[in-house]
Amino acid sequence: MTVSDISHRPRFLAQGNVYLPHLAVIDKTIDETYDTRTFHFNFKDEQLREEFTFDSGQFCLLSILGVGEAPFCISSSPTRQDHLECSIRQVGKLTRALHRLGEGAEIGFRGPYGNSFPLNFLKGKNLVFVGGGIGLAPLRSLIWNVIDNRDSYGNIAIIYGARSPADLCFRYDLEAWDKDKTVNMVTTVDKGDDGWTGRVGLVPAVLEQVAPSAKNSVAIVCGPPIMIRFTFPVLERLGFTPEQMLTTLEKRMKCGIGKCGRCNIGNIYVCRDGPVFSYAQIKGFISSEY
Amino acid sequence: MPSRDEGVTNWARWDNEGASFLDWYRNTVVPPKAIFLPPMEAMFGFQKDKEGYHLELLASDEQKWLIFGIRPCDAKALAILDMTFNDAYEDPYYLAKRKQGVLVGLGCTRPYDSCFCTSLDSSPTDATNVDLMLTDIGDKFLMEAITDKGRELIARTNLAQAATKADEARAKKAKQVANSKVTRKIDTRGIGEKLLSCFDNKDYWEKIAAKCISCGICTFLCPTCYCFDINDELVKNQGERFRSWDSCAFPIYTKMPVENPRQEKWRRLRQKVCHKYEFYPLNFEVIACIGCGRCIRQCPVNWDITQILDNLPQAQLKLEKC
Repeated sequence: MTVSDISHRPRFLAQGNVYLPHLAVIDKTIDETYDTRTFHFNFKDEQLREEFTFDSGQFCLLSILGVGEAPFCISSSPTRQDHLECSIRQVGKLTRALHRLGEGAEIGFRGPYGNSFPLNFLKGKNLVFVGGGIGLAPLRSLIWNVIDNRDSYGNIAIIYGARSPADLCFRYDLEAWDKDKTVNMVTTVDKGDDGWTGRVGLVPAVLEQVAPSAKNSVAIVCGPPIMIRFTFPVLERLGFTPEQMLTTLEKRMKCGIGKCGRCNIGNIYVCRDGPVFSYAQIKGFISSEY
Repeated sequence: MPSRDEGVTNWARWDNEGASFLDWYRNTVVPPKAIFLPPMEAMFGFQKDKEGYHLELLASDEQKWLIFGIRPCDAKALAILDMTFNDAYEDPYYLAKRKQGVLVGLGCTRPYDSCFCTSLDSSPTDATNVDLMLTDIGDKFLMEAITDKGRELIARTNLAQAATKADEARAKKAKQVANSKVTRKIDTRGIGEKLLSCFDNKDYWEKIAAKCISCGICTFLCPTCYCFDINDELVKNQGERFRSWDSCAFPIYTKMPVENPRQEKWRRLRQKVCHKYEFYPLNFEVIACIGCGRCIRQCPVNWDITQILDNLPQAQLKLEKC
């Protein structure tokens, strides 16, 4: 069974020319770190605002017309859909240009694309979220989704780390999850600073210390590739099977719909068949192409 | 219609005069995919004013096409491209042009020595993917209507005469002769499994990639390569989003801010070979190569895909590593 088979929610599918973006307006921006900013935005078209749906784990292509287009995960939860959120780190031409936009600026939006986290598969299970840096963005959509339907899931553990305290994203969420008695929130940094009193250590190592039980559990992992690579073996040692490990992958993309060619891992296209995969699906390729 | 410009054969609009190309035409350098997926194509325009952006779809291409003289291999390539552009999300640009097109195939009489279509379920006289098929029988052509579009074309011309038994016999003979002229062969049995088994054989891929200069010509001129890039152009407050051919031969094709899964040349060449012979068959049950030989003829360093496939190392135990 592939991951995409176990999500049954009806999908919103854009009508007409799939390459034509919808215009959206930025309502608000939040600085997450020195180089990462979250954008809250909404569609210009009222009908679309009403009809639009997406699932946690799906992504979109944002553009500034005249500058370019790139894929970003939707970091807000479909359970809180008065607006959409994308959290964007400055790394190139488009993301720098996006960071120069303020409230009221217009952006192009295509999507939602890709599969999503398999909610039906996750229901009733204990969930272990393992995130690193901006990799918390797609997990955050699912975490809020799960918290908003708290009774449907078992224990929740969140292990989140960043390079330094200054690199921690979504501090307001981390605080909220820390206060939530039903969530085991563990925050760590690779290297602390003078003001840091929390945990210090790399995410895979901290995961091994926290040692969540694999019984009736699913681990959902997202972060830089190096973190993902080191996290899977730890999970295996903790007794998680490849089917119990989910991740969401990132690749360079242009079309988002399985045509432009570049986001493949073997015969799988991350945009069309992913971005959510179980470790079982990508295990064979992780050494050589990811 | 094939046309020759400074010695290079390409597709050009018919000049309403003769068909002298029949004397020298073997195949075009640029494949007919360029008509349906142009090297560069505007997708839509936009304007910016005080109220924001305004998108405008460019006038859709209503023009009808008739491609005269498409080779059977190239027609098969279009059928292969259709699978990708029809898959899950329809590609409006490619499909609109494709729907407007009629393909008049012309069987090959002089295949190149780099041709190997007969190894890929096709032949120089394969009529499967055209609307109307022509076979050269000396002083005239035998026409076979394959689709309704082809039958309609025949009905509209007053130049066609009913074929005689002798004409049909000559066509059959001509086809046999043409097919026997394709002498290059590859063995495609189990090719996907073979490629899978040597996916991690870095030594082999490095060896076959050594002389490649990553110019990308084998992908640009490949009739089944469809990868494209999307970019924007802006002049003052007016611009266009356009797409253009891209190639897995270039490192930037997969470059991400932090990592690049195919930075090294051997990984890129492996992708090209495996995409055509392993991945595409897994997704669409057809090898994405038609044996037209363009990548062999046009490669500046004589890279030869048939040699690469013939010399795949024997299956070895695959080690799993993380």
